[in-house]
Amino acid sequence: MVSLPLPARWAVRLVVLAYVFLLVGWPMITLVQNAFADGLESFRAAFSDPDVTHSLIVTIEISLWAVAINTVFGVGMGLLLVRYEFPGKRALSALIDLPMSVSPVVIGLALLLVYNGRNGWFGPSLESHGIVVIFNSPGMIMATCFVALPLVVREVVPVLEEIGDDQEQAARSLGAGAVQVLRRVTLPAIKWAVVYGVVLTLARSLGEFGALKIVSGNLTGQTQTAPLVVEQKYNNFAQGEAYAVSFILVLISVLCILVVSLLRPKESAS
Amino acid sequence: MSIEIKNVNKRFGDFVALEDVNVSLPTGQLTALLGPSGGGKSTLLRIIAGLERADAGTVNIEGVDATRMSPQKRNVGFVFQHYAVFKHMTVAKNVAFGLEIRRKPKDEVRARVDELLRLVHLSQFADRLPSQLSGGQRQRMALARALAVQPKVLLLDEPFGALDAKVRKELRDWLRRLHDEVPVTTVFVTHDQEEAMEVADEIVVINDGRIEQVGTPDSLYDAPANDFVMGFLGEVTQLGEVRLRPHDIEITRSPDLAGGTSADILRLTRVGFEVRLVAGTEEGQEVSVVTTRSHARALALEEGERIWLTPSSGAAIVPAMKSLLVG
Repeated sequence: MVSLPLPARWAVRLVVLAYVFLLVGWPMITLVQNAFADGLESFRAAFSDPDVTHSLIVTIEISLWAVAINTVFGVGMGLLLVRYEFPGKRALSALIDLPMSVSPVVIGLALLLVYNGRNGWFGPSLESHGIVVIFNSPGMIMATCFVALPLVVREVVPVLEEIGDDQEQAARSLGAGAVQVLRRVTLPAIKWAVVYGVVLTLARSLGEFGALKIVSGNLTGQTQTAPLVVEQKYNNFAQGEAYAVSFILVLISVLCILVVSLLRPKESAS
Repeated sequence: MSIEIKNVNKRFGDFVALEDVNVSLPTGQLTALLGPSGGGKSTLLRIIAGLERADAGTVNIEGVDATRMSPQKRNVGFVFQHYAVFKHMTVAKNVAFGLEIRRKPKDEVRARVDELLRLVHLSQFADRLPSQLSGGQRQRMALARALAVQPKVLLLDEPFGALDAKVRKELRDWLRRLHDEVPVTTVFVTHDQEEAMEVADEIVVINDGRIEQVGTPDSLYDAPANDFVMGFLGEVTQLGEVRLRPHDIEITRSPDLAGGTSADILRLTRVGFEVRLVAGTEEGQEVSVVTTRSHARALALEEGERIWLTPSSGAAIVPAMKSLLVG
């Protein structure tokens, strides 16, 4: 640790605090103030609109699916990237990071091109089997998975690298099969990385906007998600309701982070 | 014979780790695989355990062909240099792991774990996490864990390599005593010749992916098969055209022994009870000699004095082929 003189230390703290306050704190406080500007009136108005409650349910459903799928694939791909050598490994690793750098709108458009029912690559044949992807839940889950793809993998990979495969080899030499090694040794060792990945994925999925706006078709009362409702309400001069729904989205994310930080054991114990 | 290795080859890319290795390791004994780092000894151990697969050749454990068997079916205990403890489990859970995998009844598991923790002197730590143990304690726990499943063979990969000198010495003695108490066939890898000589019943010297010699510590020390084994097992010096141990050279003050070589003492150092000296021959060769302090005093050895050097009778001697070609 570098130790700075006391005044410099306070100056640094002040700068950091001011930065975080201006960027995150103040806007959030204002949002909460606006949401509660008329007491609970905005919330009452929002929740009396069945389209709003429906959009919240859709958002939570889509997010839970995306979290479940990305957790399984995230852990699987993490293991693949760390424990195995195969040609194209670096390409796969780069591909997993792609959603970080590509705008969600572009991701939405790309999925639309491949899966739409009229001239997409897979769309028509899937629709002839009764599976509608675009403007429907499967497409929305896919878009959310795509956007949140790196979050679990990138939490899990460094931990897998750090623990090495000694414990797994020891377990195998003690008679454990592949599934037993995974369940009894690998998963408990990476448990907290997975939990963090899940929370980040959930937070990211709840807030996804761009890709879903394109893929869902933004059909009110059907495929419209909560962030899309926020935009619609705002554009329709129902700012109060927009703030209320926003507040609920923020609340869920904050709760997730709180729960994890309460559950997580102290660093020294790990 | 307990472990039979036949014609085993192993490459990692261009690097030849093992080349046509044939060896049999006896049942119930403590065998050391000794050699320099990168010589292939750990690879051989990992092939016996099934953690690595040989490119060619066969591995037979207690009469069963294990060449293609997965590690979990071989019933071998493996102890790693860096312990490989299950960090999220208590000491007792670590030791119980193999038994729980085998779905043994709870009472039996508890009794066996208690017995093993007593054996490795860790009973009072049963409910601790491995992070609360010292390195030596972790390694003893890893040993108990490996022994819990009553393996046919116990394999240890540089088991004391990550420990400090004092703990190393203690654990080494302890392993020897443990093996006398629980006589399971044990193979351990080490690059420390002292460790191998002190603990093992039999030593397999491995270098450059090949087996140089197999034998008891005494036979290896007294009758090394070649230059490498001789040099790896102890100090070596060259006198004329032979290589031998510095303490196997007799010093006289007059040329009264047949085949004596005259030399002048260049340097003389006293270390405790022994005296080490370097003598220069007329051909310009520098010979190291070790003798006792009383002998040096009796002969009145001083720097600059003329002495005669003769290999003592019964000394282990190897022709100095390499030096002749080079020099």
